Amino acid sequence: MSNKDDTSARDVEVSRREFIEGTSAALVAVTAVSALDAQAPVRAPAISVDPSVPRTTIRVTVNGVAHRVEVEDRWTLVELLRDGLGLTGTKIGCDRGECGACTVHLDGKAVYSCSNLAVWADGRKVDTVEGLATGDRLHPLQQAFIEHDAAQCGFCTSGQLMSAKALLAANPHPTIEQIRAGLAGNLCRCANYNRYVESVMAAASPARNTAGGDR
Amino acid sequence: MSRQANAPGAMAPLTTVGRSTVRIDALERVTGRATYTGDVQLPGMLYARVLRSPHPHARIRSIDVSKAKALPGVSAIVTHENCKVVWGAGSIAGGAQYNDEIKKNTKQRRYAFNNPVRFVGDPVAAVAATSRHLAEEAMHLIVVDFEILPHVLDHEEALKAEAPSIWPEGNLCLNARNEAQPIAQKRGNVDQAFAAANRVFEDRYSTAFVHNAQMEPRAAVAIWEGDKLTVYTPTGGIANCRHDIARDLGIADDKVRVVTQYMGGNFGNKNQNQDADLIAAVLAKEAAAPVKLEFTRKDDFIGMHGKWPTTQYYKVATTADGGVSAIQLRAVSGMGPYRKNSGTLAGVELYACPNIGTNISPVYTNKTVSGNYRGPEFPQGFFGIQSMMDDVAYQLKIDPVEFAIKNMVRRPSEQGTFTNYSLPECIETGARLFDWKTRWRRQPGSDAGPIKRGAGFSFMAFRSGVGQSSAVIRLDAKGIYTVFVGVTDVGAGAKTTMAMIAAEALGVPLSRVHLVSGDTDKCPYSVGESGSRTTIQTGQAVIEAARDLKQQLAAKGAPTGDAVLVASATPSPRMEANKVRNAFGAHFVEVEADVESGRVRVTKYVTVHDSGRIMNPLTAKGQIQGAVVQGIGMTLHEDMIYDRASGQPLTAGFYYDRIPTHLDAPEIEVTFVEHDDGYGAYGAKSLGESGIVLAPGAIANAVFNAIGRRVKDLPITRDKVLGVLA
Repeated sequence: MSNKDDTSARDVEVSRREFIEGTSAALVAVTAVSALDAQAPVRAPAISVDPSVPRTTIRVTVNGVAHRVEVEDRWTLVELLRDGLGLTGTKIGCDRGECGACTVHLDGKAVYSCSNLAVWADGRKVDTVEGLATGDRLHPLQQAFIEHDAAQCGFCTSGQLMSAKALLAANPHPTIEQIRAGLAGNLCRCANYNRYVESVMAAASPARNTAGGDR
Repeated sequence: MSRQANAPGAMAPLTTVGRSTVRIDALERVTGRATYTGDVQLPGMLYARVLRSPHPHARIRSIDVSKAKALPGVSAIVTHENCKVVWGAGSIAGGAQYNDEIKKNTKQRRYAFNNPVRFVGDPVAAVAATSRHLAEEAMHLIVVDFEILPHVLDHEEALKAEAPSIWPEGNLCLNARNEAQPIAQKRGNVDQAFAAANRVFEDRYSTAFVHNAQMEPRAAVAIWEGDKLTVYTPTGGIANCRHDIARDLGIADDKVRVVTQYMGGNFGNKNQNQDADLIAAVLAKEAAAPVKLEFTRKDDFIGMHGKWPTTQYYKVATTADGGVSAIQLRAVSGMGPYRKNSGTLAGVELYACPNIGTNISPVYTNKTVSGNYRGPEFPQGFFGIQSMMDDVAYQLKIDPVEFAIKNMVRRPSEQGTFTNYSLPECIETGARLFDWKTRWRRQPGSDAGPIKRGAGFSFMAFRSGVGQSSAVIRLDAKGIYTVFVGVTDVGAGAKTTMAMIAAEALGVPLSRVHLVSGDTDKCPYSVGESGSRTTIQTGQAVIEAARDLKQQLAAKGAPTGDAVLVASATPSPRMEANKVRNAFGAHFVEVEADVESGRVRVTKYVTVHDSGRIMNPLTAKGQIQGAVVQGIGMTLHEDMIYDRASGQPLTAGFYYDRIPTHLDAPEIEVTFVEHDDGYGAYGAKSLGESGIVLAPGAIANAVFNAIGRRVKDLPITRDKVLGVLA
């Protein structure tokens, strides 16, 4: 992990905090440590860990920030992200692997975080929507989503973004049909599918240019 | 998307309104910073879960909560024994707007916790504990002794004499005056018209229970500070929600604050207050701590409502020259065990027919409750009547588009006129853009080979009235105009639209407008985001507050130092007698049907809408596109299927209910024909519901044109396609 990434992750966190303060919600204290620091203190999650159930202390790097955190073994990854780390950008739409609102990257691969246990993320790298931007600079997908009005209610948007990012990483020049297939696991009840596809196409275009591609 | 501003008197272009504008909160939506109710964390907050009835109809003999209560970390448990709160908006309005009078009169009260329970999913108990896992664990320790009662699921069976009674008064729903009466309407002399008819056609159509299925499962966070209750909840109408919570809990309106910053979809399922709001409030009081109640997806699917299933029997008389001379409709709507909406059906009024008789029976069943879902009574009614008329046109050997143009409504009543009338323009524009004459098969099902194409069409006239709402605008010394409106933005972009209207009316750039919304302690009354009326009504209030502020500014000059100028408006416009305001539209669809597998795919979809002046083309287009894709789901996929013997819903959830995915969404082409009829905010008309209203009829007609047989029961699934071809 580069220093630059570390800084950007903190920047995003700071602005989130300001936002939470503005809505009078409780602050979630995050202990961010360098990934190399094995002596990172165990942080207390925002929700209380039940001492009577099996628990495990895991190390997980989220959006470039390393955490040592005690989790209940029954926690899903999305519970750790949302309740434990205060990263509420990842949503729970069904909690059973049907809708994709909770899509995050686990070691770079798009997964449903409702269908992964938190303990499975031990020693691994998780990326969420909060880590997409670099400081104030939005990811091209975020920019395209704004310009093409991809988000109506916005509840599925984080998941669509994360799946789109995984798609473009694997296939920088997708066709419309490939985008539809790549995002098929992300439901949108506003059914703004046309605009999501349009956005991903737009975000993929600059990549074509730099690749001297087939525009 | 294309837009056509129309002569005569083409609309004068405006500065901000009418230009594609990125949402003012777009950044929050793409960075994960937008705070939805489930994201709200309060210090010392408890988590709550609801235990629901596993039976479609049962009396609770006893509930033993002792084991659950003994679990360390469990703070409060409520059941029908210790919580007698009535959820007014949950049913007892008999289909009318819930009010104090109705609350007093009604015989059929829906409580937050009912005994007997009347559907699988009726809440039995709720638990608040220090974590959601603990709350779930406690929920499973509650022992309920049920006496199972006989149930009825089908709405036509429920009307039979031998059907089990869900209410002592019987299964025909009571209205707000406690009368068990069908919804009936009469015009002219139907019997005479049928006797004199050249031809008479009769048929039966049915539609399924379709769930709103918005992506955000319901959540409510309640906190009491002294006698003041704050509820964070996803509601389309904070003002109505607050009023309903106060009435249900028996406290004053000003002791309730409702906050909705972001919400994950509505589609009519999050209007007014919800039982989740009441249950969270009761638990928070009991536990003396803030409580977050989260519904699971299954809770949301079976515990909240969807669109009512219907069976529709039509009889149509025609004259020798192909005119429709009489329409009779008898229908039954399945409302579940509580009447959360009227259960009526729209569509017959689309035809300029002198003799009409309708009789619609809303009935109780032991299925999940029915209520508002995007254009509540429209898509299912329009599907029935427009399938029927399509069929009549074929039998009379008339092109369905020509038949529609001959018979469509031209005035709202004999004396009445529309504020503007663009139905012919919508139909003609759509037919041209779609190339109807080429795509429509004169001989249905005539394509060679197993993959057959066909085209279908439907048209719409849809309510777009005016009404009351409020807005406040404050100007400070920095030149910032802060607009206070009680809108919540269900996803349609209301915050942005309100800010754009304010900028336009004030004559300032959008960047100088700040918007405060979604908080009853900060915002004035707003009509609420239901019925596609926020832009029309609250938009008009913004315009009038802006006008006042500009006058103050001219008279007093700009504020300096700590001074501010404040203006407010609560316009309550009414239509003149015999003036009716409607939005109009037409949809043209091509499908491809595989007669070997039964699979139907939409291959081209053209929409033309007159929604008045379009405020923000960027967001407006998505409203039509999304609503059409929902309509595709309703027509081809979605159905809440029940096991008849046990009364269990078998398809509760996104996957089994088959809501559309990316793979089911073709490109939806959108054209707006724009007119400013002088009403509403800058001529805005209703928009959000329009797209879904037209889809089922148009798609079903296209399927008929492709395969030559008509599927009369929604959804048009593969088995049904193969069934009609067999």
